[in-house]
Amino acid sequence: MTSVMSISAAVLQVTSGDLTTYLYIAFFGLLFVVQFAFGTRLQSYFAINEISRGLNKLRVMKDKARKDAIDYLVNVGKAQADPTQRVDQFLDYVTIMPVDIDPSGLVGKIDHVVTTNNDRVRAEVGSLLNQNNPVTVSISENLLEVATSLNQIHKIVRHFYLLGKKTNSYFTLVQLQMLMPMIIQEADALLNATDSFRMGEPVGDGIGPVVVSRFMAGKEKRVIAKDTVMAITEYKGRKLYVLKADGPMAYVGQPGVAIQKIVSEMGVKPSAIVMIDAALKLEGEKTGEIAEGVGAAIGGIGVEKFQIEEAATKAKVPLYAILVKQSILEAITVMRKEIAEAADKVAEVLNRVIEEKTKEGDEVVVAGIGNTLGVAQ
Amino acid sequence: MMSSVPGADRKSKLLVYTIEECPVCGQKTKRAFTVGDYITKEASKCPKCSNTARVSLVYAESAKQSG
Repeated sequence: MTSVMSISAAVLQVTSGDLTTYLYIAFFGLLFVVQFAFGTRLQSYFAINEISRGLNKLRVMKDKARKDAIDYLVNVGKAQADPTQRVDQFLDYVTIMPVDIDPSGLVGKIDHVVTTNNDRVRAEVGSLLNQNNPVTVSISENLLEVATSLNQIHKIVRHFYLLGKKTNSYFTLVQLQMLMPMIIQEADALLNATDSFRMGEPVGDGIGPVVVSRFMAGKEKRVIAKDTVMAITEYKGRKLYVLKADGPMAYVGQPGVAIQKIVSEMGVKPSAIVMIDAALKLEGEKTGEIAEGVGAAIGGIGVEKFQIEEAATKAKVPLYAILVKQSILEAITVMRKEIAEAADKVAEVLNRVIEEKTKEGDEVVVAGIGNTLGVAQ
Repeated sequence: MMSSVPGADRKSKLLVYTIEECPVCGQKTKRAFTVGDYITKEASKCPKCSNTARVSLVYAESAKQSG
């Protein structure tokens, strides 16, 4: 009897063990089939969800930037009528870049289009405001540009999101999903910039003008290019032609045109052109770190850089760069202490570069590059 | 699934200061930034030598940093 019971128990054990094994096999088999047949669809579903969340954030950001711009125009700029409709039209304005299949003379064409656009923005803002305080006008211009940029970012992301969904394109969606964190970061930086602009606080990008303004203080200034001023000063027997955008307005000026004028029209024969600018740091680099180098230290679309390089090459003048490292957020929002405190060190480096690279009696051009909001001269 | 989209604003609050510097004796004074301040703007009298100070810097530091 005992032996019969033990045999049936053993049989039962074997049967139950087999069942578990079969269940395992069936489960993993099913998982494999699901992954094989629907894996891409599942990934697309996750990507769509994540992009959708990011897109919502972008929508909130662009709406806030638009509202901030309208509020500033009404409250500070004392806009005569409700500027909402004009602002909405402004946000959808496009700048059509010239054709580049024949690259000869392309920089001149880009310069022409960009200058036309800048003039239009200023005229548009001027007509909206009931005052002509240049600081208020320049801040309004910057706020509208930020709102336009955020509007564009939102539109482009939405375009690829809808296109990916419509065509069921896994690769479009996944690429957009991978880019979303960087896009949100940039958009967040732009949105934060509106606070600094509204308050008229110097931004991190203004470190070049901060340093240069010390050389210009108390000297006679003259307008050398649109929104750009220059002063002549002296340092250890060298004649310095110091230039920056006209502050405390939120201008970047035209340093390219200014340097071309100094070198070709004013007949100055500089022994060096020293440019001071903010530079985007790589992850891991410290904010406010100073880097030295050669070449034209200037960002933007490339027109100013081209003009400076051309002027320097024609006159065979060496270009020296002094850069202050910062992130994109730090560059367009209120200047951080680490960046502001780098100004003294940059001035020391500038003095050393002038002493090492030039001799007494030489002429030197010093350019402070960047947005000069809150930095007069 | 973990989201790779950055979450809500987690930045620390920044306080903005204006530094006034006397061009004669070099005395520096730190005060809260007020709208209309800009670098090189004429500021209050220097507490040490009574000359007119100028705004030399405007910067932000985190509330934690400034103590």
